[in-house]
Amino acid sequence: MHRQIEDELAFHREMAARHGNPIPLGNTAVLAEHGYALWRFNFLENLWRDLAYAARGLRRSPWLVLAALVSLGLGVGVNATMFSLGSEFLFSRPSVRDAASLVYVRIAGNSHSSHQVLEFLASSGLFADVAGENEEITANYNDGAETHPVSGVFTTKNYFTALGIPMLYGRGIAPDDPDEVAVLSYGFWSRQFNGDRTVVGRAINLDGRMCTVVGILPEHHRSLIGFGYSPEIYLPRYLDSTILAIYARLKPGMSIPAARAGAVTVAKRMDAQMPVAEFKYADDVRVSAIAGYERLRTESDLMTVAVFFGMLLAVTGLVLLIACVNVASLLLARASVRRREIAIRLAIGASRGRLLQQLLADSLLLALLGAALGLALAQVTAILLTRIHLPTPVPIRLQIEPDWRLAVYAAVLTTFSTLACGLLPAWQSMRESLAPSLHRENKMRLRRVLVAAQVAVSVIVLTTGLLFLRNLVHSSALSPGFDVRHTVFADVNLPPNGYSDAKRKAGYIDRTVGELAALPGIDSAAAARVVPFNGGTRFGSTLVFPDNGARTQAFFHWNAVTPQFFRAMDIPLLQGRTFSPTDRSEMVVIVNTEFVQRYLGHRQPLGTVFLWGREGKTPYRIIGVAAPTKTTTIGEDPQPQLYEPLAQIENDRQEIDFVLRSAIPPALQLEAVRRTLHRIEPMAGAQVATMSSSIGLAFLPSQVGALLMGSTGILGLLLASIGLYGVMAFSVARRTREIGVRVALGADRGHITRMVLKDSARVTLAGTAAGLLVAFLVTKPLAMFLVPGLKPTDPLNFAVVALAMLATGLAATWGPIRRALSIDPNSALRED
Amino acid sequence: MGKAAQPALLQGTLDLLVLHALQRGAMHGYAIAQTIHLLSDEVLKVEEGSLYPALWRLELDGAISSKSGLSENNRKAKFYQITRHGQKLLAEQEATWVRLSAAVSRVLAG
Repeated sequence: MHRQIEDELAFHREMAARHGNPIPLGNTAVLAEHGYALWRFNFLENLWRDLAYAARGLRRSPWLVLAALVSLGLGVGVNATMFSLGSEFLFSRPSVRDAASLVYVRIAGNSHSSHQVLEFLASSGLFADVAGENEEITANYNDGAETHPVSGVFTTKNYFTALGIPMLYGRGIAPDDPDEVAVLSYGFWSRQFNGDRTVVGRAINLDGRMCTVVGILPEHHRSLIGFGYSPEIYLPRYLDSTILAIYARLKPGMSIPAARAGAVTVAKRMDAQMPVAEFKYADDVRVSAIAGYERLRTESDLMTVAVFFGMLLAVTGLVLLIACVNVASLLLARASVRRREIAIRLAIGASRGRLLQQLLADSLLLALLGAALGLALAQVTAILLTRIHLPTPVPIRLQIEPDWRLAVYAAVLTTFSTLACGLLPAWQSMRESLAPSLHRENKMRLRRVLVAAQVAVSVIVLTTGLLFLRNLVHSSALSPGFDVRHTVFADVNLPPNGYSDAKRKAGYIDRTVGELAALPGIDSAAAARVVPFNGGTRFGSTLVFPDNGARTQAFFHWNAVTPQFFRAMDIPLLQGRTFSPTDRSEMVVIVNTEFVQRYLGHRQPLGTVFLWGREGKTPYRIIGVAAPTKTTTIGEDPQPQLYEPLAQIENDRQEIDFVLRSAIPPALQLEAVRRTLHRIEPMAGAQVATMSSSIGLAFLPSQVGALLMGSTGILGLLLASIGLYGVMAFSVARRTREIGVRVALGADRGHITRMVLKDSARVTLAGTAAGLLVAFLVTKPLAMFLVPGLKPTDPLNFAVVALAMLATGLAATWGPIRRALSIDPNSALRED
Repeated sequence: MGKAAQPALLQGTLDLLVLHALQRGAMHGYAIAQTIHLLSDEVLKVEEGSLYPALWRLELDGAISSKSGLSENNRKAKFYQITRHGQKLLAEQEATWVRLSAAVSRVLAG
């Protein structure tokens, strides 16, 4: 810019000099300055002037401003909230140093490996640092009076130093610490110790061992695992059998593919030096990023969640569109008032571009204020959302803080709103200022088209909302496959010392089941490794059938239970019998009907033998077939299940579940069960609850979907009804004279009412029809989020939505009808 | 604005002259000044101190547009041309000028 001005002046001087008119020196600089100032400040000055003028103008229409701000505030607020929710859940950055250089390493395709594998990898020198953790730990915290199970993480001792995790007080676990140390989360520390800083350095009783608290994590700490997972305690691993997820820090300049190649080489050395019979370490080596988009791509379960959030954002974007159309409609109404002013401006020489800028200043101002309001709303909503306690087996806390991503998204929303609200009214104003008389009728029609469009979009949004609400209702009616109303569920965590060998565990289990079954009012009691909706173990194994040598790759949900399990849970045994003590002579299993259907082929299930197990050589005989139960969510497809007797397996976990069938309401049994468990083993942490309150996780997806989509649908309906009301009110006001004439000529109230209704009905019907058509096409892919049995194209949905929209249209027209009926013909005719 | 011998020009009038000159086609700044000078029988001499601010202002208001080009002696220069909006402006300002000068003449005659 400066160069251009200087070049231009220099050229002029040269030409002048050539023609014999030398120009005195000295005033070029001033002239150039003048030029710069003119150009540079022009844009900003105009923008500021336009905004100030827009503000003055809008001050004269406070209702318009209020309606616009409410619409835009809600629209932007909803969008910002969903965006924050989605981006925090999917893309949260863990609280570590330099997250981009950390990777997650899987050897042999295992999510967690033994500590020997980790140490081998660390000593190979491939990575700058290697650390590991196991996040499925429950520790028993004894506060002196009671023992609480606490969700925690076992880590390698270099975890905190290698990852560079910032602490609030104290320090992280150090490599030269003894085994008896612990790091507490902020939540656990403030709840159990009331934020007492002197806890750092004190010892607390965990699993019967006195561990010194060395540090407290900050309140906004985000764990490496992500998705809001917030464990309460971190301990150094001290058991040989703990498997660890491996995290490594890349050396400077190392890329992920290079790291993987290096890891494969190390894995091959592992196969040579410490081979394992069942698999090869080098068979499935994966190195992936720990956060961000990279991570999302490599985990397929997450993609479904990501798609859900994408759809959510699309729907909330539609709601914002409805809000913007509202504001556009309001601005259109106002534009007719400004017609003369615009005509004058054009006459005295304002260019079209400048005029457009000035007219857009209106909507820019509204968009800026609306966005500010919306962001404030989103922040409040976010704070409320993070306080909600989710019924998940591990503690999950989403921390939503405004960051640059939200700022960019908000800027995009504001620009979109400005253009969506302002472009049409501005263009319309300019067109009609040039030829006023032709365009007055067109404008009314334009507003009606806009409202019809709003109604259509609202119908789409409402359809999705209704779909998810019905989904929730349907999923509540689905049977989980076992009895929920008469069952008590207890989750017990045995302390490692004293129960490290399987014999002692088996003794404890037998004794406890016996004593629990003897409680008054208890029908039957059983123990199990897994209870549906509260954890699960999936197996993928090769089964060999010796009768014809067939090998089948089978995936199933595994469980180990005591014989009374099926009775206690009221799971029907369709064929055969449950386990009995005489089964000790051979390996037996019970499978469900889905397992039979998928893997047994034409065989009769009872008595069928297949080879399975460590070397794939142990024969297992099927002695019973059970009805299927749900395992993880209520809406899942039928899953194959396999049960082994608890006495038959090598029980290597400290956690055991008990289920009891109660003849009296289960809530009355909880105290007795707690006391019994505490009496048998006081050092074990136990959680006792009714089964119905423990399966909250099953319904979580449908509940979340219904909440988010349902509220969005209602919001869209609300905004569309505001738009409809506005246009109808304006229409009645414009037709005041006509109505006055009709009344004077003898039209009765019914006639006037029908007139206004017809007007509104045309718009509503047109919009609803268009909306239903689009909704029909667009909602088909939503089937992936719904429980089986609910079809997105169910005609009942569309009927309900159409009805709701028409009813809303009626309600919105109520006010304008009353206005029309109250028109006094005398004053109406006198009005000009 | 200039030497004592030259009559003073109102700013609006300068815009009028510049726009009129540009009716003959695209020109660079010096050519515009020369055109005005010659068409006025060498009475009006527009200095760069008033010409260029007027040109820049007209461009910002959208009455004229500029582009880069080669001058008669193959030097890079900025050429201006009138826009449609400028044409309208010119017509209005011409009408205003005619009315104004007629009014002044009437006053002086009476």
